[in-house]
Amino acid sequence: MATLQLDRVTKKFKKDVVLDEVSFEAEAGETLVIFGPSGSGKTVLLRVIAGVYEPEEGKVVLQGHDMTDVAAEHRDVGMAFQNFALFPHFSARENIASPLTALRKSDSEIEQQVKSIAKLLKIEHVLGHLPRALSNGQKQRTALARALVAAPKTVLLDDPLRNVDAKLRFEMRLELPRLLRRFGSTVLYVTQDYREAMALADRIAVLVGGKIAQFDAPESIYLRPSSIEVAKLFGEPAINIFRGQVNEQANRVLVNQNQLILPKGFQNKAGKTCDIGIRPESIKLFREKRVGTTSYEVITITPLNERSVVLLRSQEGLELLATYPAEEQTTRIGDAFWGMVVPEDLMLFETETGQRCLPEQN
Amino acid sequence: MNQLSTSQRVFRGVLLGLVILFFMFPIFWIFLMSFQTNEQILRIPPSIFFEPTLINYQALITGRLETQAGNLDIAFMENLWNSVFLSSSAVLLSLVLGVPAAYAFARYRFRLGEDIAFTILSFRFAPPLLVLLPLTLYFEDIGLSNTYTGLIWVYQLISLPLILWIVRGYFEDISPDIESAYRLAGHSWLQTFLKISIPLARPGIAAAGLLSFIFAWNNFVFALVLASADKQPVTVGALAFVTASGIQYGQIAAGIVLSVTPTLLLALYAQRYLVEGLSLGAVKG
Amino acid sequence: MSEVQLSLNSVDKTYYGKKIEAAVRAVKNLSLQISKGEIVALLGSSGCGKTSTLRMIAGFEGVTGGTIQLSNHEIQQLPPAKRNVAMAFEGYSLYPPLTVRDNIAFALKAERVSRSESDAKVMEMAKFLEIEEILERYPSSISAGQQQRASLARALVRKADLYLLDEPMGQLEPQLRSVLRVRLKQYLQEHQMTTVLVTHDQTEANALADRIAVMEDGELQQFETPTQLKHRPANIYVGTFIGEPPMNTFAAEVKPVGKGFQFQLEETGELLDYQKVDFQQPLRAQLIQHKRIVLGLRPHAVKLGKGALQAQVISNQWLGDQSHIAAEFANRIIVAVSHQREEFQLDENVPFHLEAEDLHFFDAENGNAIAHGLEM
Repeated sequence: MATLQLDRVTKKFKKDVVLDEVSFEAEAGETLVIFGPSGSGKTVLLRVIAGVYEPEEGKVVLQGHDMTDVAAEHRDVGMAFQNFALFPHFSARENIASPLTALRKSDSEIEQQVKSIAKLLKIEHVLGHLPRALSNGQKQRTALARALVAAPKTVLLDDPLRNVDAKLRFEMRLELPRLLRRFGSTVLYVTQDYREAMALADRIAVLVGGKIAQFDAPESIYLRPSSIEVAKLFGEPAINIFRGQVNEQANRVLVNQNQLILPKGFQNKAGKTCDIGIRPESIKLFREKRVGTTSYEVITITPLNERSVVLLRSQEGLELLATYPAEEQTTRIGDAFWGMVVPEDLMLFETETGQRCLPEQN
Repeated sequence: MNQLSTSQRVFRGVLLGLVILFFMFPIFWIFLMSFQTNEQILRIPPSIFFEPTLINYQALITGRLETQAGNLDIAFMENLWNSVFLSSSAVLLSLVLGVPAAYAFARYRFRLGEDIAFTILSFRFAPPLLVLLPLTLYFEDIGLSNTYTGLIWVYQLISLPLILWIVRGYFEDISPDIESAYRLAGHSWLQTFLKISIPLARPGIAAAGLLSFIFAWNNFVFALVLASADKQPVTVGALAFVTASGIQYGQIAAGIVLSVTPTLLLALYAQRYLVEGLSLGAVKG
Repeated sequence: MSEVQLSLNSVDKTYYGKKIEAAVRAVKNLSLQISKGEIVALLGSSGCGKTSTLRMIAGFEGVTGGTIQLSNHEIQQLPPAKRNVAMAFEGYSLYPPLTVRDNIAFALKAERVSRSESDAKVMEMAKFLEIEEILERYPSSISAGQQQRASLARALVRKADLYLLDEPMGQLEPQLRSVLRVRLKQYLQEHQMTTVLVTHDQTEANALADRIAVMEDGELQQFETPTQLKHRPANIYVGTFIGEPPMNTFAAEVKPVGKGFQFQLEETGELLDYQKVDFQQPLRAQLIQHKRIVLGLRPHAVKLGKGALQAQVISNQWLGDQSHIAAEFANRIIVAVSHQREEFQLDENVPFHLEAEDLHFFDAENGNAIAHGLEM
């Protein structure tokens, strides 16, 4: 059963349309990531669901009830903000307890619940501190504890890892799924980091310019993006995009005088111009010549997240980025590589709309 | 860049000393005057050495002013009480009205909102004399002239705009996210306002309250025209020291010292709230 | 490459508070030699002294001790304007009353560059940083990312002996950032611009710098190429700071067995068995002498699937080009990276092994590296 439904939600600020008929559903216990570049409306969307903003059109349905006109405090929603938004004059304990005091629970019950979530998030020792005495990481955990402590049916997390350092961010990325599972809430998680999105999401809603560009499982979005725009948002370094000419047999595509093998099923593109997308890790690199490889010169090498990124240039002048596992090869600038694009990984996009061309089924 | 050399430090000390001397000297002089008789004050050249006397304070507190021309009854202590009562009532009323209004102007955009806020501010532009004459006539008609109620009402012209505009700025500085977070935790709008917004704006509320108290305290014209002797504050009451037989400098000085004291105490008390950090560390900078 | 352009010699910086006890030694005895045309990144977490260092080179802060030489002249006493150094600031540093174009051209005007030449340079810079469209706008009306690029343009357009970049890409969108990094590096290299940049982001340092100076607590930890930092970290701090995901570390006791060793983990007593591995001298002697060490394991070195060790999977995240798997081992979390998609289930017990060549050995007392793999 869908526990959260958005039905054609539109939000405008004066004349700016920030959300344009956004619709999707989330299942109970699911972690749904809303991903998009900054300014795409992610935060506004979260606030509409929380009840902080009122949409001009459309419906917000939680647990089967239309909540569009219900005040924020009655929606059974917990939220963690990007800037933490802790109450500065309350201690960490009082901050975390605030959703429980609203439920008029007894002091002992509140104390016990606060303690147990503080233990889970490893902040028991700072419960008596005011927010200003907390480190960034502790603030972020306090904010998270406050959002989760009352086990709300819906949890909204607005880029909660944005303002903590890289190491903490990585640790939290590993811990968070286990923590969220414990509460069984439906989680909406906003981020502009595609790796965070892929790591945490059951499904991802890609939001671009206030519209859902794609709504799917992480692997589908990464492997089968709906458009160039989406393809470029996932992956670092970003996907290589070239203008290419499909040959008459529809088995090769010519990019800047380099022939690439085209996967089957694109007969309808024979002789046409397309945009070609090649993910950097889809280029297999060899030290020696093999069948179907092209020779490339290494222009630059940079280490990136356990992989090495090389900028390659073919003899015909085609430049592309490829990556390989950092521990595998030792490479120097000026070295030669024989590279081959894995045909199945090659993507074709319409030049005009940017939509991905789907292979024909037969 | 961060450490000062010795000469810089000395230079800074001298400059600060000059500024303090410039501002504090009149107050210091008045304080000395309040312990002198008129003769001592008026001798030439003036001297800071004299035999202190308490007769000025005695006269003020007993209400009997003895001059060469004869004895005179003055109502200074009543005036002082009037000042305290009028100013604090006016500020309290302004706070009750102004703080919620300031919150509304800070958080909500409504039709004519800015115009209304500006109109209230414009009360501070108009010279008081402009409104005084019609106001006197109206007050006569509706029976408000020479009443505390009438004066407190008129004092709103002084204190309300100040409170509204200062406190509004403080409310605007509070991240709306903090309020949203409290609402989402399940608390009503009113609880959020009382538990989050007001405590966080407290330095602003304290500053605005203090400032408007001082302005109300120092008001002269409204009280002069709209109140008779028994409702007058000290500012108007001090006129009594200008007597037929001359100006009673000693008593004026003592009167000033006594009338400055309440505001000074209030300022010292409020200072603690003024310097209290706002939302330090709650929201990522 | 060998000609030294910038040289910091035992530079110290102490900030004095109101009381003597409040004094903070932000930079400690820092010495760095930077060659002409070299791009160097000062990398570290906030408060490590990197920004103080940059500000001392620029002349906004005086040095408490030591000397700074630029093109063989001592400059630590000169005011910023006389140092012939161009700097791009992290935050809002554009002149508000000037358009973006005039901001960029500002220094050129002072250098009396002709109008046409200045226009051409500004245009080239604007194209390069993708800000042509906002040249006539004022700083208040453009985004933080655009302001930052304008500030960068203003610094790069000048002819200077040294370019200082303070978090040059911090405000940019991730997409644009990765494109501009490549472009900026090529530009700096082509024009032989000696550059010092400050960043807390190792991806940025890796992408831009020829060499990286890792700083922590005011001290230089290591000054090396990105690859060397990764493969041969000088101490535990550098080892765990560089690399994403970070290096796994385990404190262990050294037990010589036969030709090889066993390492017994201190917390739980698990044995990592390398008795059949040939540890050669002098590594062998070093390890025996240390007794207690810290083992560092890069995530890619944790080979999942077979082996004598077992870990319980707590998360398995696929990121498109690699998988990050976190698992519980010896009461701690060990992180593995695999370059393909892995199908491990949560709570599944997975066997793994660690090759001796992939181990980093650190001194348990002072954290300094003893050896990387089987080589000293």
